[in-house]
Amino acid sequence: MELVALQGLNFVYISLTLALVALGLAVVFGLLGVMNMAHGEFVMLGAYSVLVVQNAGLPFLAALPLALAVCAAVGWLLEFFVIRHLYRRPFDTLLATWGLAILMREIVEAVFGRDYKSVNQSLPGTVEVLGAVYPAYRVVLMALMVAFFAGLFLWYRRSNTGARIKAMVSNPALATAVGVNTAVLARGAFIFGVCMAGLAGVALAPLVRVEPYMGIDYLLSSFFILVVGGLGSLAGLLVGSTVIGGSDAIVSAITSKTGGYMTVLIISILFLWLRPNGIVSRD
Amino acid sequence: MKRRTLLKTSTAAALLAMTFAGPVTSAFAADDPVKVGILIPQSGPGGLFGPSSKNSAELAVEEINAGGGILGRMVEPFYADVGGPPSDAIQAALKLWKGEKVEAFIGMHDSAVRGALDNLFKGQVPYIYTPVYEGGECADGVYVLGETPAQQLEPVIPWMAENKGASKWYLIGNDYSWPRDTNAAAKTYIEASGGTVVGEEYLPFTADNFDSNLAKIKDSGADAVLVTLVGGASVGFNRAFASFGLSDDVTRLGTLIEENTLAGIGAENSQNLFSSAGYFANIDTEPAKKFADAYKAKFGDDAPVLNSLGESVYDGLLLLKAIADKAGSLDVAAMDKAAEGVSYSGPRGEATLEQRHTTKDIYLAEANGADFTVVETFSKVGAGDNCQ
Repeated sequence: MELVALQGLNFVYISLTLALVALGLAVVFGLLGVMNMAHGEFVMLGAYSVLVVQNAGLPFLAALPLALAVCAAVGWLLEFFVIRHLYRRPFDTLLATWGLAILMREIVEAVFGRDYKSVNQSLPGTVEVLGAVYPAYRVVLMALMVAFFAGLFLWYRRSNTGARIKAMVSNPALATAVGVNTAVLARGAFIFGVCMAGLAGVALAPLVRVEPYMGIDYLLSSFFILVVGGLGSLAGLLVGSTVIGGSDAIVSAITSKTGGYMTVLIISILFLWLRPNGIVSRD
Repeated sequence: MKRRTLLKTSTAAALLAMTFAGPVTSAFAADDPVKVGILIPQSGPGGLFGPSSKNSAELAVEEINAGGGILGRMVEPFYADVGGPPSDAIQAALKLWKGEKVEAFIGMHDSAVRGALDNLFKGQVPYIYTPVYEGGECADGVYVLGETPAQQLEPVIPWMAENKGASKWYLIGNDYSWPRDTNAAAKTYIEASGGTVVGEEYLPFTADNFDSNLAKIKDSGADAVLVTLVGGASVGFNRAFASFGLSDDVTRLGTLIEENTLAGIGAENSQNLFSSAGYFANIDTEPAKKFADAYKAKFGDDAPVLNSLGESVYDGLLLLKAIADKAGSLDVAAMDKAAEGVSYSGPRGEATLEQRHTTKDIYLAEANGADFTVVETFSKVGAGDNCQ
């Protein structure tokens, strides 16, 4: 029973963290069509923000404004100088952002070094949940993520901005004609997307390894999620994360980690082949 | 007459002395240095160890040259990046060997690259392989400095059983030859120490979530875990391990948890974590301290942290000098003949070549926050039988 509870919590945890990590890419790739290969590097910037805050002796939560500020600034620069010239040219965005990803890794390596960094657990210790011993920080993080996604879902559904984004995505020319400033809206969406990646980096930093190359892991799993879940909707993102994270967690628990990873690859390939629009398709 | 002879002789002697000791000597040696190829990862996953390896090599070259070089000739290092796939490593080594006319190689890289280099060199050029590895290298002209599983585990597992009550072992590693061979050796020693293996698992290099493994470890009732995950995987696993509270009751032993990995694991996740290796940055011996001080003096306080992989390149050059000086040549046949019983002394302590592997001291260290403290030294541990 305890083992079932533990595996169940793991299932929920991985699904939620994957959704958080992929959220930024879902916005940037799913809504704007920009294949942001530097997505993982924004997660890395978030994680290094926690490191900077920790080295300065400030509390963990101070990393949130720092990460958002850094990611927004870098995101604005990228959008203004590179991305906005490449909208609706997905392959070019892939090449450009891949180059930018390398640049970001090298800069971080030059400043902080190639070595692993350790971010302290701001909430160490464990708590008992349904008979299973679980890290306290994870339990709090899971609760926050549920609240965050619920809020985001409602906002996107009801707000004017959400409606304008939907208009821009489904018909940019018509949206411009009725007075939506798509240039500003797209820039805002891009910056929001990379800031969400930074936010995920802050949230995960105490749990994972922190080094200049950490972003690559997050990029791959995020693309898998979007392939399976489908582009352009929050529901697709959550469904994709649950399928990818869940199948990995379940198959790994029953067989081995290799089996879990293989399952994720097979599912992703099958979706690309048989259902390229994903489970929740926009059209 | 007598006085005249004396004058003449002393003038001649002085001239002769100048030829051998003065600035004239270095001019002579610089004309004909021993070119040594130093193959270290400067990119890829092993790139983390590039800077400390290169620094260690520079220090060794400087010290060997200050002491008269190898076979009386100065050493000139040539560096090549072998962090990529074996095919790239071969090209890099070939360039040094045929292009720069390098006369000996020091290699700090994975076993896939070593296998490819064995096939390239075919015993025509001496090659010192320095990092920890799975054992079994037996080719001509290859001299192995690194720790084998036999060395790292044979004395250590009984020690863990006796002092930490380790009896139910869970073995977890990345899925390639080094962890698998290490665990195969470990099983013998665990059984001999009266323990049992309660689980064994191999993870792909892509794994970055270890929750299912931790649930299995918990469920298995293991009281000790042998970790042969490498690099980032080891960091991620050990952090998650501690966050689930497992580190309070379960002892961890790693055979490749060096100073960089420990820094990533972090002080608050390192309780009950042990590591077994031939070198740690703070071994408490005179030669180790002398080396660490020289490293700090040359490269500064912010230099890449010392670790067993980086330092092995320093020892590799010392070993090359010891064999070549005894053989009186850099010819593989002569070196192979002279190799058995060659000994040298370095930061790791005294080491002796047996079957072209080093018999040496092995240190067991316990993580103390973000640093290692050596808790036991096992002296003169043999590398086991590597030519089967």
